[in-house]
Amino acid sequence: MLEVKNLDVAYGRIQVIWNLSLNIGNNEVVGVFGPNGAGKSTLINAIVGVVKAKSGEITFDGVPIHNQETHTIARGGIVVVPQNRELFPAMTVKENLRLGAAYIPHARAKMDETIEYVYSLFPILKEREKQLAGTMSGGQQRMLVIGRALMSRPKMLILDEPSLGLQPSLVTEMFQILNRIKQDDMVILLAEQNVRQGLKVIDRGYVMENGRIAMEGSIEELSEDEHIRRAYLGV
Amino acid sequence: MRNKAMLIVAAFVIAAASLPLFAGPYFLSVFNTIFVYMSLALTWDIMLRTGQLSYGTAGLFGLGAYASALLVAKAGLNPLVSIAAGGAFAGLLAFFLGFGVLRLRKIYFSITTLALTTVFSVIIRNLPRLTGGASGTVLPRALFNGDPGKNYWMIYCLALAVIAISVWLSKSKTHYAINAIRNDEITARSSGIDVFKYLLFIFVLTSTIQGVIGAFYAQQYAFVQPEATFSMNFLLLPLAMALVGGVYSTIGPVVGAVLLGLVSEYLKLIMPYGHLIVYGIIIVLVVLFMPQGITRAFAKLFTRKMQVGGVDSASLRD
Repeated sequence: MLEVKNLDVAYGRIQVIWNLSLNIGNNEVVGVFGPNGAGKSTLINAIVGVVKAKSGEITFDGVPIHNQETHTIARGGIVVVPQNRELFPAMTVKENLRLGAAYIPHARAKMDETIEYVYSLFPILKEREKQLAGTMSGGQQRMLVIGRALMSRPKMLILDEPSLGLQPSLVTEMFQILNRIKQDDMVILLAEQNVRQGLKVIDRGYVMENGRIAMEGSIEELSEDEHIRRAYLGV
Repeated sequence: MRNKAMLIVAAFVIAAASLPLFAGPYFLSVFNTIFVYMSLALTWDIMLRTGQLSYGTAGLFGLGAYASALLVAKAGLNPLVSIAAGGAFAGLLAFFLGFGVLRLRKIYFSITTLALTTVFSVIIRNLPRLTGGASGTVLPRALFNGDPGKNYWMIYCLALAVIAISVWLSKSKTHYAINAIRNDEITARSSGIDVFKYLLFIFVLTSTIQGVIGAFYAQQYAFVQPEATFSMNFLLLPLAMALVGGVYSTIGPVVGAVLLGLVSEYLKLIMPYGHLIVYGIIIVLVVLFMPQGITRAFAKLFTRKMQVGGVDSASLRD
């Protein structure tokens, strides 16, 4: 579904991603693991067109998207749940959700239906639908951001460290919800530092270090690898 | 509650419309000026709702004024038609300039729009054959032969139209798009919002209005001159009015314009020298102690809810 080929990304003269290739098939949940500064967020920004690739190719369903604008990519079905830039604090929960669908024609038509789906995933959002988004707790805000992303009825969901800054019980809950979204046939690209939790959701994973893919493999291969066990799982 | 508010608004609309029936030319000219600045304050605020702080208000005002004045003086166009043409000219120019300046953000956008104002005025000063150069152009006749009542009705209708546009925008799909852009442009883009398209639309819309108001102003006084027509007053006063009344709303700039317009007129009467100092102090005090504007401060007193015109106060903190 998504194919990244020989991607190079640089901020000015500082190159952050080196000759990176990865692919995500239909109905797949793929993890990208790596420490801070490995280039995970830059990779995501390049996929959704927030930063432009220096060279290389990104195709989605066979269509090259590396020269498209962010809003076109979003309408085409890739939606990202960003790490920091999150929601519109001055709008209510429901307005935030509606905004996710309002500017994407095919999602707009199914807005009410999708809202019910999002509420079924996150019942707390229904309870709080009239509250200003900025007044909710960090965990609820994170749920709202995922909900808003789902509102655009994406073909592929990209999550940038969904567990970052959440208390442990919420992290577990977050990954349970991701599992549910996965069961509804969503293609997911999950960037995480929390490899232990991430491994419970993904089908396949990549490990990124210093802007390069250091390793690629199935859950078993990753969880049995000596380097990963020591560096990420603390075993 | 809603009906009561509608009644109050209707009462104001009718009272303002009937002003020429009982007020003398002095009061009409005071309110005429207030409506000019009110319209400009609203357009400045509408642009600000997208997160772009424009300093180009005076520039597009002046362009509309010159386009309209020259069309009448050189081509003999009907003054009323020339007012529409002045707006169209400002809007068209904003459309082309938009492809450049709307790539800029924050201070770079502001400074560039300010620079454009100066550029327009310098170009006009240096085309003496066409524009009359530094001494300007005087038109043969003032709009409606200078009839204060008709001029008042004209600017009153224009101001009502701008208010209607502002209200319509705050209820439209565009409202959420530009709110989203102001809050966080990247998130707006990832929600499928074509940021440039919306910015261009708002820039062209507000510039067109500024052009129309400038054209009306030029026709009313039958006079354009670089210093006076591109005066910084057409930027700074609307800006102060919107800030004092409360930005990101329709009611804010409207109340701010009436309030500051009346206060400045009264101060001019009681102290011919130094009234601008007092005026400045009032603006500073309001901005310091009611940073959300007078309308929100009052709304808070009465309702404890910090909402005016559907725009929330939380968005002011960014």
